[in-house]
Amino acid sequence: MRIIFIVREGLQGFKRAPLATTIAMVAIALALFLVGLFGLSVYNLTDLFQRFYQTVHLEVFIDPSLVEAQRSALQSRIRRIPAVERVWYVPPDKALQEFEEEFGEDLITVLKRNPLPPSFRVVLKKEFRDLPTVETIVKQLQSFPEVDEVVFQRELVRFFQKYFKLALAIALVLGTLVLLISILLVFNTIRLTIHGRRNLIEIMRLVGATNFFIKGPFMVEGIVQGMIGGAVACGWLWALVDLAQLFISETIGRPPHFYPLLIGFGIVMGFLGSWLSVNKYLKV
Amino acid sequence: MIEIFNVTVHIGSRKVLDSVSLRIDKGEFVYLVGKTGAGKTTLLRLIYMDLFPQRGNVIIDRFSSSTIRRRQIPYLRRKVGVVFQDFKLLTDRNVYDNVAFALQVVGEHRREIKSRVLSVLTRVGLHHKRYHMPQSLSGGEQQRVVIARALVNEPFILLADEPTGNLDPEASSDILELLEDINRSGTAILMATHNYQLIRKFPHRTLMLEEGRLQELPLEEA
Repeated sequence: MRIIFIVREGLQGFKRAPLATTIAMVAIALALFLVGLFGLSVYNLTDLFQRFYQTVHLEVFIDPSLVEAQRSALQSRIRRIPAVERVWYVPPDKALQEFEEEFGEDLITVLKRNPLPPSFRVVLKKEFRDLPTVETIVKQLQSFPEVDEVVFQRELVRFFQKYFKLALAIALVLGTLVLLISILLVFNTIRLTIHGRRNLIEIMRLVGATNFFIKGPFMVEGIVQGMIGGAVACGWLWALVDLAQLFISETIGRPPHFYPLLIGFGIVMGFLGSWLSVNKYLKV
Repeated sequence: MIEIFNVTVHIGSRKVLDSVSLRIDKGEFVYLVGKTGAGKTTLLRLIYMDLFPQRGNVIIDRFSSSTIRRRQIPYLRRKVGVVFQDFKLLTDRNVYDNVAFALQVVGEHRREIKSRVLSVLTRVGLHHKRYHMPQSLSGGEQQRVVIARALVNEPFILLADEPTGNLDPEASSDILELLEDINRSGTAILMATHNYQLIRKFPHRTLMLEEGRLQELPLEEA
């Protein structure tokens, strides 16, 4: 009986104050849309960065006079370096082919011979891809007598690292701001809808309702508002991601469990907003 | 039974009640008179423990203001009915639901709610208007709904803060007759008012608050 009353009373709030509850739901939807939009941006930015880093590798040019046995021995030594994820051999003719594909020039016709030395391509593990670590590994590789030279896209790594950190810092500040504004917006709207029904709370207190009974219906209402607001925000973001995939890039995606998390966040906001607002009227 | 011992209440820097003592026995009918701002409402709030004294002690039934815990207050309020001048009815539900609300929020069963609400509405003479919305009732009728709501939990005392303040003399007399009827069935009544005509017409024990002090008025003086 108690639970049925609380749930029914909570749901009837939508019928009894349709305007106020609708405004609260729209506020929640807007707030979650902002938060979600922000989450999507950061997720896709990080994803882009990760994907770029996948392509970063070291080119280890080796002494062309090495016989195959020496070469495999060197490859094994490189593979044993803890930071190394993958290492593979690129023979001169393969390097030439790649060069010609990339720059469209026929080196053989110009130079009459293949100028490119044999090399190893080395991909580092994710956690060893920051610039100082890469430099250390480059030095280590260069200390091998069979290695002539090690090159990698140093400037590109430096550029990305610098701007990624900056972007992340800006995102953090903006994200906190967006989150705060969203929470304030939602809490304030819910507070207003509850303020409109302070009479109800006062009567409940007068006739001897326990705090559980007074809060219960508002909690139910808050949870349902959060759920509906969250679902609406998810709809908007879904459409937005679809459009972005169509017009910007197919690689734009959403984090795992994005929509359930967003609805969950809506529920938590609705619940907490109602909880705090009702509490204000329960103080003696 | 209600006992107030030597109670002092400050609101802000103002001393609203000054060493007030009072005892109301089971089934008594008591008027509380005094000018606006004399502290009548404050005294009533002490009884339903919406307010606590800085000094002294208030004992209502088995609850004492000095030892009661916050979560016990709802249980005290179920034994104390409260009626206001400004009605405080829920305009989004009908008469029946307004009265039933007082039982729903204390977790009563539906069948029990129905029989008690219908019985109390009969008692205040509004059984036939149970599906009306409060806005469609006269002032006197609305006050009857509030009284029904306060009574439905079967309190041992009914506190009425200027219950006739918004009513014409005829409706006021009707309310007083209803309160006397309730009183005859054993519920104590404490009614704050400054309607002396009404007191003369329905004489009962009368207390007067003046400058924070409480004094008993002889019947003929009231």
